[in-house]
Amino acid sequence: MKKFFLMMTTVVCGLIINLSANAGSVESLQSDYQVQGAGPFSAAAGETMWQKEYLDEKSGKQRSCQTCHGKDLTRSGKHARTGKVIEPLARSVNSERLTEVKFMKKWLKRNCKWTVGRECSAQEKGDFLEYLKGQ
Amino acid sequence: MQLKKTMVWDLPTRLFHWVLVLAFALAWATYKDSRHLGLHTIAGYTFFGLLMFRLVWGVVGSHYARFREFSYAPKEVLAYLRSLLGSGIKHYIGHNPAGAWAIFVLITFGLLLSVSGVIVLGGEEQQGLLAGKISFDQSALFRTLHELIAWTMVGLVAVHVTGIIVESLLHRENLIGSMFRGTKWVSGESANVTSHRLVASVLTVSFLTWSAVSLNGYISATEAQPYQPFKGPVLAMNELWNEECGACHLAFHPNLLPARSWQRLFEQQADHFQEDLMLDEATFNELTNYALMNSAEEKKTEAAWKIDRTVKKSETPLQITALVYWKDKHSDIADETWQREKIQSKTNCGACHYDAELSTFQDSAMRIPK
Ligand code: HEC
Ligand code: HEC
Ligand code: HEC
Repeated sequence: MKKFFLMMTTVVCGLIINLSANAGSVESLQSDYQVQGAGPFSAAAGETMWQKEYLDEKSGKQRSCQTCHGKDLTRSGKHARTGKVIEPLARSVNSERLTEVKFMKKWLKRNCKWTVGRECSAQEKGDFLEYLKGQ
Repeated sequence: MQLKKTMVWDLPTRLFHWVLVLAFALAWATYKDSRHLGLHTIAGYTFFGLLMFRLVWGVVGSHYARFREFSYAPKEVLAYLRSLLGSGIKHYIGHNPAGAWAIFVLITFGLLLSVSGVIVLGGEEQQGLLAGKISFDQSALFRTLHELIAWTMVGLVAVHVTGIIVESLLHRENLIGSMFRGTKWVSGESANVTSHRLVASVLTVSFLTWSAVSLNGYISATEAQPYQPFKGPVLAMNELWNEECGACHLAFHPNLLPARSWQRLFEQQADHFQEDLMLDEATFNELTNYALMNSAEEKKTEAAWKIDRTVKKSETPLQITALVYWKDKHSDIADETWQREKIQSKTNCGACHYDAELSTFQDSAMRIPK
């Protein structure tokens, strides 16, 4: 019996923590960036950088965030290398977006490297999120 | 002597004959392209069912349809064949001895063909009556047999048809027409044969019902929702794998590469086709474990079995698309096709295989998008 209660309590607590984390995970990640000295964040700057094209020296091709995520964030994108469909990034059509800190961190790191050719600064990442969360 | 128009072949026998021909032709037309395996199977079961009916009808059917009526000793066959060269050809109302033997041999081979087909379907595809009862290894032999028997059947049919044409010419009698109309011009005594319309109706209704049921999926399929006649085996899935490995491309199921390949891919995770997988230790361990437990060596699907057999033990391929087996299966697809908007990459398996996420890669579950 005791074991059961313990289990239930853990599950419930887990759920609460999980939910609250989801509710403000973009904000929580952005405040991490602020701790690192960045901010305030600008959606306009995020948008500009989102659309900006960077030349990849090796392939000689232009790359931008839109290369995979597409021009319209409310529609599916397509992975530039594999052709795989990427679900829309806009939260207005895809409620699962920007809900997990670890996931966002991982992809921001990876996608900046691929697109811009280097890791993005805390400021840049915060701007991206500011832009994306309003979509 | 006066010639009388006489019923020789009852209606069920004629129906049996012509539907059998159609079923065989359909099976023949659909055997090469594995996308048509569904139709091939339907044709095969129809063929099998008809033969079973014929076995019964050979005992209880009308006079000339009964096996007893046309079981001749080998001596009589030889005598008949010799008489073809001479002048005194004996005329038979039902089957002549040579034709009768052709029929027995055709029925026997037809049954062997059906049974071997069911075995191959059960082993190679793990489908049908014997699904799960036969291993891939066991069915390999039967596949060869199935093909041999089929080719033999084609040869037998050629002999059968030649025989009929020769006899038609010799007797100035349209035997092919008789198999449609059921009647022959007969002089003298002959047995009384009725049409057996009731049995024929039951046969027709069963056949139409079976056709409607088995073909329904094909008829109601749409471009967006294509028909999948077969479901493959359910493979072990791992959520973490699907999440981590399914973001950039299809989460290729571990059964598509040997264990040593996965081992190597994970060792090189920081340089994964120029991407960094960034797997933390716990994730790394869980995924590696899952991959090694479910690799091609487990032979859970036809593809896994063939991949396991064809990869050289000395090699460690890192790409599914570099496997001999994969290249062989996709050799017919033109370069231009791979570049199509909806495909773009060879690794975009899901563009053509709609069971790619289940990794069952059923023959019939594919279409090449325009
Ligand atoms: C090479 C293709 C590619 C490019 C280019 C790309 N991304 Fe992504 N991005 C992905 C993939 C794949 C995912 C993860 C799959 C998914 O979420 O459906 C992802 C996920 C993300 C996520 C996480 C979304 C979430 O729900 O948490 C963010 C944020 C993101 N990308 C931002 C960017 C930014 C910013 C850029 C430009 C610097 C960019 N991406 C460029 C492929 C790309
Ligand atoms: C960041 C994106 C990304 C992630 C995440 C990723 N891969 Fe890949 N993978 C690629 C790219 C790009 C290729 C090359 C695809 C191509 O050439 O079309 C590839 C190719 C492969 C191939 C070879 C495919 C072939 O037959 O050509 C395998 C196998 C593979 N990945 C397994 C995995 C596994 C297992 C995981 C999870 C642990 C994983 N990948 C995660 C990007 C990724
Ligand atoms: C352009 C479309 C297309 C793409 C993309 C594609 N395939 Fe195929 N695949 C086919 C066709 C067509 C066949 C049937 C060849 C045949 O037997 O006639 C086939 C056959 C196969 C078979 C054999 C099925 C059987 O039982 O005979 C396997 C396994 C398979 N593909 C796996 C893959 C995998 C894994 C990928 C991704 C790495 C892939 N395919 C990508 C079109 C495609």
